[in-house]
Amino acid sequence: MNTRSLQLARSVLAAGAVALCLFAASGRLTVATSVGPSTAGPKDIDAALASQHTRSETEIRLEDRPDLLSRADNVRDGLSLPAGTTRSARHVQDGFLAIEYDEVAELDGAGQPVSMTQFDGTGALLVAVRFDNPAGGTIRTTRDGAIGSAKRGAAQAGLATVGQPTVDTVADAGGWYVHWDRRQDGLPVRGDEVRVRVWPDGRIQSVARVEHQLDKAPARRLSQADASTAVTKLVTSWSSPSGASYSLQSLDLQWVGPNAAFDPAKLTAAPAPYRLAWVASEKPIGPLADYVGMVTVYIDAGSGTVIGGDFVE
Amino acid sequence: MKRAEKWLVSVLLAASALGATAPATLAYTGDVWSNSDAFKANCLGFNDTYPQLGNSLARSGLSFLGYAPLGGALGAQFTRSAFLNNVFYDYAVYAHTHGDNYWAASGAPNVDSGLLQDPGTGQCNSYQRDVIRSSSIKAATMGSSYNLVVMSTCMLGSSRSTMPDAFQIEKTKSSTQREFYLGYAYSTYDSSAIRFENAFWSYLNGSSDHSRTLYQAFTYALSLGGYAIPDSASPFSPNWWGNPNYNGTPG
Repeated sequence: MNTRSLQLARSVLAAGAVALCLFAASGRLTVATSVGPSTAGPKDIDAALASQHTRSETEIRLEDRPDLLSRADNVRDGLSLPAGTTRSARHVQDGFLAIEYDEVAELDGAGQPVSMTQFDGTGALLVAVRFDNPAGGTIRTTRDGAIGSAKRGAAQAGLATVGQPTVDTVADAGGWYVHWDRRQDGLPVRGDEVRVRVWPDGRIQSVARVEHQLDKAPARRLSQADASTAVTKLVTSWSSPSGASYSLQSLDLQWVGPNAAFDPAKLTAAPAPYRLAWVASEKPIGPLADYVGMVTVYIDAGSGTVIGGDFVE
Repeated sequence: MKRAEKWLVSVLLAASALGATAPATLAYTGDVWSNSDAFKANCLGFNDTYPQLGNSLARSGLSFLGYAPLGGALGAQFTRSAFLNNVFYDYAVYAHTHGDNYWAASGAPNVDSGLLQDPGTGQCNSYQRDVIRSSSIKAATMGSSYNLVVMSTCMLGSSRSTMPDAFQIEKTKSSTQREFYLGYAYSTYDSSAIRFENAFWSYLNGSSDHSRTLYQAFTYALSLGGYAIPDSASPFSPNWWGNPNYNGTPG
């Protein structure tokens, strides 16, 4: 039996299993069913989250938006991204990422995108990316060469960069990520950055800008000592029901996005502006460390309340 | 394979005899498994909400691509036996839990990657009790092929991972089969995985005719940036193997 017939067999078996489940549900047969459909957890939360999993696109007539096309052309040519034989433009309301943008795609003869640019409502670039694969050429650039390419690329895309970037190698595929992490009032904005991906041959695959709206800094800021006390109290409260132990790795001020990490009631909340927070990273100790790498908590720097967090599971 | 073939033929005959009124269409089953009990208050001291987010997102994404019915579980029904008993029927598999590249039973340097089942209500994970090894999964698949496998875990997208092979997906980026494996190479913040997967599914949702490819969705999502990392040794590194021209639809 080859792979295809095996696939057909399991499709038929699965369809048969569905039929048997229907019989069982109607009471005509009594069969034990293993885990199957409709076991996905709280349906009310699922339904609420489903409304975020939508994306609506409105076509933009090319002749109506010469400004958009001009910006797209400039970025495409500045980054030496491939041009298509045709192109399309659309306004996208992206419920998944809770953002809106205008998108211009360069299309090949088969209608497949070869590159794409996205711009926010102010006309600033969000991302430019090429979709072809790097050919296995012999030209190889160095880390410094990659930084040079990235600097030129960011400038060509109209993005300001300050200071020295951080450089990470790309796992498996090779090449580099060169990124300038955003700071506001000298403090990092978590996740915000200008990021350039450079192929091993020095060409640019993508340029992106992530820049969230920031709330006003609190008039009175929690001191590090007070933040440390608040974190200790919080972690102690965790230990009570679980017996879990944690070791504080770092406690730094950052601008962060409030989220639902510790509060299911906020799972469907709209994204809020970033707030200044003390960010505590706690490393589990003991058996928990076998499967949880880090627990990170955001303590609002003004109110001292928990406004979100993150986990490495 | 011969025993499996005989068993399949027997079951097929039995199923066709029983299922005279069975649906005429083929089922392209997908399973979405999320470990949540290990990340609840009795283990962590608080309830981690990310498993719910990832589960809901994956179910939405696989459903959009046409996988149906969708099984799996969020929580205690995500057991090793449920996973292994169902995986043969699957065309798509998503798992959100702890994953790693463990040493094989034969010892280092051989790797037998694994993921942890949900430990059950009121329990925390124990590697010895809860691990589902890639070798066990491979045996349960009986050599069948898979369209889309998403390991929303740490480490199972690294070049050392043996998980793709459990689903017969070769670690190449130039496959011509209808197959795609997605995983993360290093330790990964949940928020980053969720942001990436949101962008991935969003891009695919942009074409109701499924003209966009999984590779394009991957490339777009990765290009967006904005991914927090736990430390400088763990840059955000999703990875893929499979067919760059495949659109992810089942069959």
